[in-house]
Amino acid sequence: MDYFDRFAVPHSSPMIVGSQIAIAVTVLAILVGVTYFKKWGYLWREWFTTVDHKRIGIMYILAALLMLFRGGADALLMRAQTAIPDNGLLDGQHYNEIFTTHGVVMILFMAMPFIIGLMNIVTPLQIGARDVAFPRLNAVSFWLFFWGAMLFNISFVVGGSPDAGWTAYFPLASVEFSESVGMNYYAIAIQIAGIGTLMTGINFIVTILKMRAPGMTLMKMPMFTWSILITNLIIVFAFPVLTVALALMTMDRMFGTNFFTMANGGSDMLWANLFWIWGHPEVYIVILPAFGIYSEIISTFARRNLYGYKSMVVSMVAISVLSFVVWAHHFFTMGHGAMVNGIFSVTTMAIAVPTGIKIFNWLFTLWRGKIEFTVPMLYSLAFIPIFTIGGVTGVMLAMASADYQYHNTMFLVAHFHYVLIPGTVFSVLAGFTYWWPKIFNFQLSERIGKWAFWFIVVGFNVTFFPMFITGLDGQARRMYTYSESTGYGPLNMLSFVGALGLLLGFAFLVYNIYWSTRYAPRNVSSDPWNARSLEWATHSPVPEYNFAIVPEVDSSQAFWDSKNNGPALFKGKYKEIHMPNNSGVPFILGIIFFVWGFAMVFSMWIFAIIATLGIFACMAHRSFEKDHGHHITVEEIEETEKKLRGANA
Amino acid sequence: MKIDNSLPLEYSTEENRLKILGFWIFLGAEIALFATLFATYFTLVDRTANGPVGGDIFEVTPVLIETILLLTSSFTIGLGINAMRHGSKNAMMIFFIITLALGAGFLGTEIYEFKHYVHIGAGLQVSAFTSILLTLLGTHGAHVTLGLFWGTFIVLQVKKRGLTPETTNKAFIYSLYWHFLDVVWIFIFSFVYLKGMM
Amino acid sequence: MNMKQLFPRGHVMGFIFSMVLTAVALGVVVYELSFKTGMIVLLVTAFMQAGVQLVMFMHAGESEDKKAIYTNVYYALFIALVTIFGTLLTMIWGYQ
Ligand code: HEM
Ligand SMILES: [Cu+2]
Repeated sequence: MDYFDRFAVPHSSPMIVGSQIAIAVTVLAILVGVTYFKKWGYLWREWFTTVDHKRIGIMYILAALLMLFRGGADALLMRAQTAIPDNGLLDGQHYNEIFTTHGVVMILFMAMPFIIGLMNIVTPLQIGARDVAFPRLNAVSFWLFFWGAMLFNISFVVGGSPDAGWTAYFPLASVEFSESVGMNYYAIAIQIAGIGTLMTGINFIVTILKMRAPGMTLMKMPMFTWSILITNLIIVFAFPVLTVALALMTMDRMFGTNFFTMANGGSDMLWANLFWIWGHPEVYIVILPAFGIYSEIISTFARRNLYGYKSMVVSMVAISVLSFVVWAHHFFTMGHGAMVNGIFSVTTMAIAVPTGIKIFNWLFTLWRGKIEFTVPMLYSLAFIPIFTIGGVTGVMLAMASADYQYHNTMFLVAHFHYVLIPGTVFSVLAGFTYWWPKIFNFQLSERIGKWAFWFIVVGFNVTFFPMFITGLDGQARRMYTYSESTGYGPLNMLSFVGALGLLLGFAFLVYNIYWSTRYAPRNVSSDPWNARSLEWATHSPVPEYNFAIVPEVDSSQAFWDSKNNGPALFKGKYKEIHMPNNSGVPFILGIIFFVWGFAMVFSMWIFAIIATLGIFACMAHRSFEKDHGHHITVEEIEETEKKLRGANA
Repeated sequence: MKIDNSLPLEYSTEENRLKILGFWIFLGAEIALFATLFATYFTLVDRTANGPVGGDIFEVTPVLIETILLLTSSFTIGLGINAMRHGSKNAMMIFFIITLALGAGFLGTEIYEFKHYVHIGAGLQVSAFTSILLTLLGTHGAHVTLGLFWGTFIVLQVKKRGLTPETTNKAFIYSLYWHFLDVVWIFIFSFVYLKGMM
Repeated sequence: MNMKQLFPRGHVMGFIFSMVLTAVALGVVVYELSFKTGMIVLLVTAFMQAGVQLVMFMHAGESEDKKAIYTNVYYALFIALVTIFGTLLTMIWGYQ
């Protein structure tokens, strides 16, 4: 039995026991349900083995929504614990675990996959391509992310959660201070998902550089595609840093090396340094696609071309460079000299310039536009002022000497939520609503959507604005409680009320999906928003091959032009289309990585070695495999097109 | 599949061209990866605690042998690709096999070197310096090891399937990888060993 | 294939060049140069070696994607230098 003791949660509580039971029951129910309804074959054929970028995108978004609720539950618990002074809902250890998993889940397993999901669905369509450059690799990316996320999530019920913050600073994250396997989960699960993300980065850069429709030069790409190109560039060059940092952490914790230790010459600060070399680019990885999404939505619903296309592109390229030279602003207070803090202060403020340019471009696009207040547009309009507050407080934090006051207070927490939530969360919700009809051929209810929107926007501000005030008053972040005499009580209570508002907003969102799936009118047109870019030029739902004929374009608003007496998009006749074959290997590889990760977390070396061999076997299989894909014949295309034209009448 | 005969076989299809560009971008990521390891190395190089410093443990001879083996292998794989472009399957395979043999020689020497370090008290856990030294070298070594397997697979495939758009594409991409490992080694040779012995 | 085809001039020259550069770099240790001179020599020889590999052996500029490949390499180089020198700045030079 001793062997199994390692899987017990060291610091258990009724809540964790409850979750253990709930998770076991849910997993069992899913397994039984799928078996009972005989859906394994369907799942395997249509989803687990798919290499279709649209389906992979859907799976990313599904997983991201799931993680949104996991991270949201953590958040609600935190706000509940701090709602009143000296509260005893959670103890210090549990509070530590919850803010750690909240941060990791939200950034790495919610924001990133949601964005990657949207980019999977939309990018190839926007550039008039039939798939991504490496469809099989795309599936590998997804399954590595998915199984990495699952591995991270089971930490809660098997062996114990990580507890050193999403930033995992040493020495807190070392074995001496974090004895459970929690931080092993952190190091391994993020590593697995990160490898998947890196591959996504390569895949989409090549896709965008090489697979654009004839006539679409770089400067004629839709803004969303531009943002995705730049995002993936940052991914490719930032993620290797995380890979190394996590590997060194793993070795410190498991093999007794001395990278970040306090003894034998190690340097705990080096961790912070490496983490943020990746970390700051990472915040731009999750914000740039948001900028792209807003650009599409704002120009669609203001019925105007995007203002200042060139300056938008230039500012994004500038951000891609600047985002790599500001990282030390995250540790101004760790004891550097004035020179270092000065340099990084200036670069940080500089990055606000291109960001500001974009804000003005959106404003000028709206200026004199005929604005239509749809749900996606509401999110975009709310984003502009709220994000500006986030940006301005960011510049406040960027002043190194002032940061000594703000650092590690709730003020910082308010800052990054004021950029991340209107930035990333609003944008993915907007994009989700905007592109939904492209995928499912019906729209989400605008009425319920607006309820969700108002609860989310108001709830967000009520939750986070008070933190600016308590933060300036000195309330520290990551503290599980405070005494009544500090006077933080009322504002924290207000914040809790706001969090409940947010919860209601998300409940409306879920209800909207349910309601619309059942009752919304079907067969809306393939271009329900009267939009501008190529994804709206094909049918909804999009056929496997995306476009029966490859479009030819000559502007960044090609579809809009073609609707308004411009040149036709589709010239020529149907030709046979070459498509990639499905494969089960990516899914299996994902599971092997999960097993490998689990074995690593618990230092079960024999299993780890076996799994490693399994991974190599998959790679060798890939090397020797002959796979030339398959062809869709002209007759099949004609048939599909006829059917779909009926659908979008 | 559209085959463009004006280009070398490895570039002849669209899929091939995508793969080559994709691999270049992957190499960009690898540069960032090794840069991070070097950054860590330079930060920790003087943090030797009670362990040895670089000058105490580095020896010229094995390092020079490793360098010559790897540089030569980079030369021979270049010749292999050249032969491949001339359509000479046999010459290509011979050059690839020589490359792999040289690579194996490199790896053997490195393993000897590692054993020696552990033997003289510069094991992985001794100090921050030894940790990062062995990790940096080990990461490069692991890449070489992987490369040996990969190269073997390619030789086997060329033998069985001949010089096709697919096999030549794989061989070319593999050669990029191998040259890249050589570049990394040059930096290790210069800024770990030579700088350490200076 | 004849010897000339098997051993094209460019490759042979590249190889000889890389051996010479290695020998020069080795000189740093043999002649016990000062740290500063030594580092300069090493920087020059290492980057030249990398250039030889990139241009002569890896054919970086031969395809239609030349621009993308060079942009990628330069960007990577930029990130590498920022990572290394930035880390030195925050961890050693700029640390009180
Ligand atoms: C206008 C541009 C921005 C500036 C000037 C800025 C500045 C800063 C500074 C100086 C800090 C560190 C404060 C401290 O630790 O005391 C910080 C933290 C943070 N920022 Fe920003 N920021 C900007 C935009 C963004 C964006 C766009 C995002 C994400 C989408 C973001 C996410 C974060 C996060 C997550 C943290 C906190 C990390 C932690 O310690 O846990 N920031 N920001
Ligand atoms: Cu930052």
